[in-house]
Amino acid sequence: MQVNNIKPFLLFLAILATSCIKSYEPLISSGDVFKVVVSGVVSDRDGNQTVSISLTSRINSPEPKPMPGCTVTIADIQGHRFPMTDLNDGNYHGFISPSYLVKGNAFLVEVTTPDGDEIISDNDPYTTGPEVDSVFYTLKEIPTGNPNKSTKGIQFYVNLDAGATDSRFYRWEAFETFEYHSDYLREWYYDGRLHHISPPDSSLRVCWLTLMVRDVFALSTQNLAENKYTLFPLHFVNNKTARLVYGYSLLVNQYSLSEQAYNYWDQLRTNSTNEGGLYEKQPLSTKGNLRNLTHPDQDVLGYFGVSSLHSKRIFVSNVENLELEYISPCTMNPLGQWGLADVNPKLFPIYLLGDFKGWQPIIMAKSCVDCTSLFGINVKPEFWPY
Amino acid sequence: MNVGIILLQLVLLGSPSAGNDPGQKIACHFQGATFTDFCEAIQKETGITVFYKADWVKDLKVNIQSDSISILSAVNLALSGSDFKAYIWHDNLVVMPRDALIDKLPDFDTQTNGSATSSQQSAGISPSEERYLTGRKQDEEEIITVGKPGKIKSGSRVSVMGRIKDEDSGEPVVGATLFIEELKTGIATDLSGFLTIVVPVGKYNVQFEHIGNKKKHCQLIVLSEGSFTISLKKTVIEMQEVVIYGDKQMNMRLKDAGLEKISMRAIKELPMMMGERDILKVSVTLPGIVSEGEGATGLNVRGGSSDQNAFYLNKIPIYNTAHLFGFLPAFNSDIIKDFSIYKGYIPAQYGGRLSSVFNIITRQGNRKHFTAHGGISPVSGNIVLEGPIKKDTCSFLISARSTYSDWILAAIKDPDIRQSHAWFNDLSASVNYDIQKTQIALFAYHSKDQFKLSDINRYQYANNGVSLSFSHNYTNLFRSEFSLVGSQYSFSTVDNHEVSSAYKQGYKMGHYEAKLEFKHLLSDQHSLNYGAGMIFYKLNRGTVEPYGDSSFRKRTDLTDEQGLESSLFISDAYEINRRFTASLGLRYTLFTPLGPESVYHYQPGMPMEIKTISDTVLFTKNKPIKWYSEPEIRASLNIKTDAEGSIKIAFNQMHQNLFMLNNSIVIAPNTQWKLADYHLAPSMSNQVSLGVFRTMPKSYLETSVEVFYKLTSGTPEFKDGADFLDNPLPETSILQGSQKAWGVEFFLKRSSRKLEGWLSYTYSHSIIQVNGDKDWDKINGGFAYPANHDIPHSMNMVLTYHVNRRITFSSIITYQTGKPVTYPVAVYYVDGLPYLDFSKRNAYRIPDYFRADGSITLEGNLKMHKLIHSLFTFSVYNATGRANAYSVFFRTENGNIRSYQYSVIGVPIFTITWVFKLGNYASE
Repeated sequence: MQVNNIKPFLLFLAILATSCIKSYEPLISSGDVFKVVVSGVVSDRDGNQTVSISLTSRINSPEPKPMPGCTVTIADIQGHRFPMTDLNDGNYHGFISPSYLVKGNAFLVEVTTPDGDEIISDNDPYTTGPEVDSVFYTLKEIPTGNPNKSTKGIQFYVNLDAGATDSRFYRWEAFETFEYHSDYLREWYYDGRLHHISPPDSSLRVCWLTLMVRDVFALSTQNLAENKYTLFPLHFVNNKTARLVYGYSLLVNQYSLSEQAYNYWDQLRTNSTNEGGLYEKQPLSTKGNLRNLTHPDQDVLGYFGVSSLHSKRIFVSNVENLELEYISPCTMNPLGQWGLADVNPKLFPIYLLGDFKGWQPIIMAKSCVDCTSLFGINVKPEFWPY
Repeated sequence: MNVGIILLQLVLLGSPSAGNDPGQKIACHFQGATFTDFCEAIQKETGITVFYKADWVKDLKVNIQSDSISILSAVNLALSGSDFKAYIWHDNLVVMPRDALIDKLPDFDTQTNGSATSSQQSAGISPSEERYLTGRKQDEEEIITVGKPGKIKSGSRVSVMGRIKDEDSGEPVVGATLFIEELKTGIATDLSGFLTIVVPVGKYNVQFEHIGNKKKHCQLIVLSEGSFTISLKKTVIEMQEVVIYGDKQMNMRLKDAGLEKISMRAIKELPMMMGERDILKVSVTLPGIVSEGEGATGLNVRGGSSDQNAFYLNKIPIYNTAHLFGFLPAFNSDIIKDFSIYKGYIPAQYGGRLSSVFNIITRQGNRKHFTAHGGISPVSGNIVLEGPIKKDTCSFLISARSTYSDWILAAIKDPDIRQSHAWFNDLSASVNYDIQKTQIALFAYHSKDQFKLSDINRYQYANNGVSLSFSHNYTNLFRSEFSLVGSQYSFSTVDNHEVSSAYKQGYKMGHYEAKLEFKHLLSDQHSLNYGAGMIFYKLNRGTVEPYGDSSFRKRTDLTDEQGLESSLFISDAYEINRRFTASLGLRYTLFTPLGPESVYHYQPGMPMEIKTISDTVLFTKNKPIKWYSEPEIRASLNIKTDAEGSIKIAFNQMHQNLFMLNNSIVIAPNTQWKLADYHLAPSMSNQVSLGVFRTMPKSYLETSVEVFYKLTSGTPEFKDGADFLDNPLPETSILQGSQKAWGVEFFLKRSSRKLEGWLSYTYSHSIIQVNGDKDWDKINGGFAYPANHDIPHSMNMVLTYHVNRRITFSSIITYQTGKPVTYPVAVYYVDGLPYLDFSKRNAYRIPDYFRADGSITLEGNLKMHKLIHSLFTFSVYNATGRANAYSVFFRTENGNIRSYQYSVIGVPIFTITWVFKLGNYASE
């Protein structure tokens, strides 16, 4: 829970309209030492459990660096051991029946890296958590620097009502799925030869894209009188993207956490939402619950946790009182004076505006006719309501 | 000379010289008599005493045969053939080497002087007008006579108490110096304008000096123990005789050293961001003092954290020295009379903070006539009213200041800010009663800041305080001061960011102090200062309460705290000889946190957490919880190397029982103070410093180099990621470590010229280490790391150029190494999202800081007769528009990591300020 709020204290500077934020590239020496990152959650959902192991990468060339080849075992305090299978992509899979996930039990992970380093986590206790109480949204306008303009959209919230469950710490993950359409059907294209598809191909017209909301949502109710919370803010969706045009679905996963896990996620959240304001805290290296037994001086990042997991999905369409300002990403350019001969073969195929009668000398971006070019899939997800 | 002496006697002693006239004719018949016999005869006959040194006259034989000769001539006749001559002195005669004294007055009018000069003003023109006129005249030589003749043998030492007042306002002058040329010694007035010096009976050439007042040369004739009062004129022609003195200049001559002083007059022309004179902002241009940054209240003195500085305003402790988040000072700089900063040797009467004492004394109000002045800047206005309640003995001063910045807010685009509100005010009032031997001062202070950001956040804080002090001079050598101080700092906040966790909290800290202090001059070599003090702290950390109907916030009572700090102190300033002066001070403080309180014990060998609480001990009301015994040694040695140079060595020990717990990089307005308690021990520092000081009078320069090394133990630091608010058990989030600071400070100053100012450069470091036995008792893995305010290079140049009496250009140029910062050094992915891994604490630095400010001050016309005098200051802050980084931060945006720098001020800021006062240019 962010207590020390920065914005008010920026006020006076804003009065003067003197403060400014600008891009700055500090010189940072990343060094050649890469730390091991172990992450994973044992959940009570369906028994399938995954532990991911990777290495850190340089700040100026960030890339995922999975670390296959480790020996991974999960153990609980009741003496059960669950060996994990190396999937060779940095992920390790195993099966732990939800029946082991009972109050009072706790789990840890043991990892042996290909170099022979022994890494072990603390025991993370299982806490029971409630069902997701409700997920909903309200209309919201976010002011901009221009007093006559604001960004409109919807703000999602989750409510928590823990009832008799025992956890006081929670984390939410949000996955959004939305339908979007390409503006045109695929009809005319040129790849050195002109093609006409008839009837026009509509298979790439409608797509669905699922994205994880890139925020950490962590809550502690320890300082609250009741183990409940209303209006915990998730993310904001503005009216300028395709998200709210054809249909939007939000899946919220609710994890119960141990206090240690909460501290870890909250610190991650603080570090990634830094705004550089006047009275900010210093960021710091986030310590999880893992340590290297072979080389105790080498930090191990990440967190291995145990959670109850509950999910809720809601569907949003036709938001009332929200005017959409969707601007299609489809762009068109006229052909050069030499017509199709002008087109650089590296760009093939190019799509041309046209209809059953013929084509026009206008090149359409791929996204105008192929929705999969915007990373979506053209297979309707099974949870899609229509 | 005759005239002068006679008048002096009339004035000083009030007894006309009826029968005693050294000019009277006597019959005189001596043959082969010794000089001693001769003089005794004269005294028997005429009552006139001849003072002489027996050595000088032991070989003289007196042969005089005359029926009518003036006594003076007779004595001179008797002295003929020797190197001595008789001078009339107080209707008596004194034998001195020839030409030792000026026996002819300058051609201009002699000004009579003494304790009753004040009534000498001619009717029709005001004192300031008179001063304005006379200010153009040449220096007068004045004669001050102390004591009564005939009581003391020549050569014996007596104490002389002096009081220095401002001629116009009648207020005592603080820190004015008296320098005796013959003895090459001097002394400065204390906070009530008193000074005491022990000197042999005799006649001296002395000079009085004070910033903002004209230097005055006088003859001081000491006949016996006694006292005098002298008035100094305001500087009129010379705008800034001296800008800063203290450690530097005073040190050359005086034993009372170890401090920096800033004169308010001197900073009048300096460019200021909001157009207000801010003495705290000027203080950061001095060596060894750096600001925490724009928009921050805190100062770091010699590598100490910002809570290690004590700020006293007429003895009232000020726990938040800023308005508007650090942009303006919390007190009206126009009422400040004296501003001293102790950062090296701290006198034994001060304690409780590790790094420094900022002692601010306000003016007491004009004792002669009523006057008013004020100023208006874009964000605030102030007014000061002052005048006598009873002429010459009792005066008042009222100051008020407020802001009207909301009009700017209303013009801002951001709707949240348009609906916001920022406001402050401060008021102070003082009444001073001053009769010959007794001074009573009553001072009250109030300041309040309020701030509301739309409906999201509300915040206010206030300082309130009253001080009453009573001082009395029992004798010239013995003076006491008793003071009572009550002060309260409070803040309250409402946070309505998320309805479910909305909260409000109030915080209050009371400081109640009684102090008794004696100054005792044992001899001309020893001056003692001793006393006792007691401070009762009462903190109410408040309750975090739910705000609004839909808040689920749990009520968390952060509990009350009480503590009693009792101190005894004694110090001796010992002038070993003309070359060496030593000061030795001892201070002993006993601090005890008091109940009611529940003290938690934790399982040994485990981290302090709620889970590991093993026992709870309840302390009833006012029951001592723990005793902390804090002996301190303060010592300094000044060595005068020659007339223009000196070396000063000091050792200083301090303790601190009250901490500001602050988790952000700089002091946020809602930081809380916390007493040392059962778990949190007081911190302690030892500092050694060595300074070399030199003046170059011909080039009007003075310079100094000082080195210091300071070791602090028990520095409280937050554990990684810990938060203070909401935590009723601070010990679970705080660790105590050690802090090391060292540095070298260079200072060069030019004064009394058209172009003047100073240049300071400091190289210093401040390193913290928290390395407990167990893993959880370490910060940064137990490795040392630079403190947030570790600034290796800091350079400041302050220049003022007086084009003429009405136009002054001024500038401040500041350069500092960037502050330490923790940067991300690696990226890793969890569930496809990138996260940052950070470096060791404070392993990197933000970009360096550079700023240049400039200003032009235009004085109104110099007409003598007018109702109001005006002054306009046009200033530009950050003239180059450089966007100095305040912080550098990293944000994950759409899976990419971007770095940004945040600048508080990224453009030049222009301000126009209008300052007015009743009267003409010279009025105060």
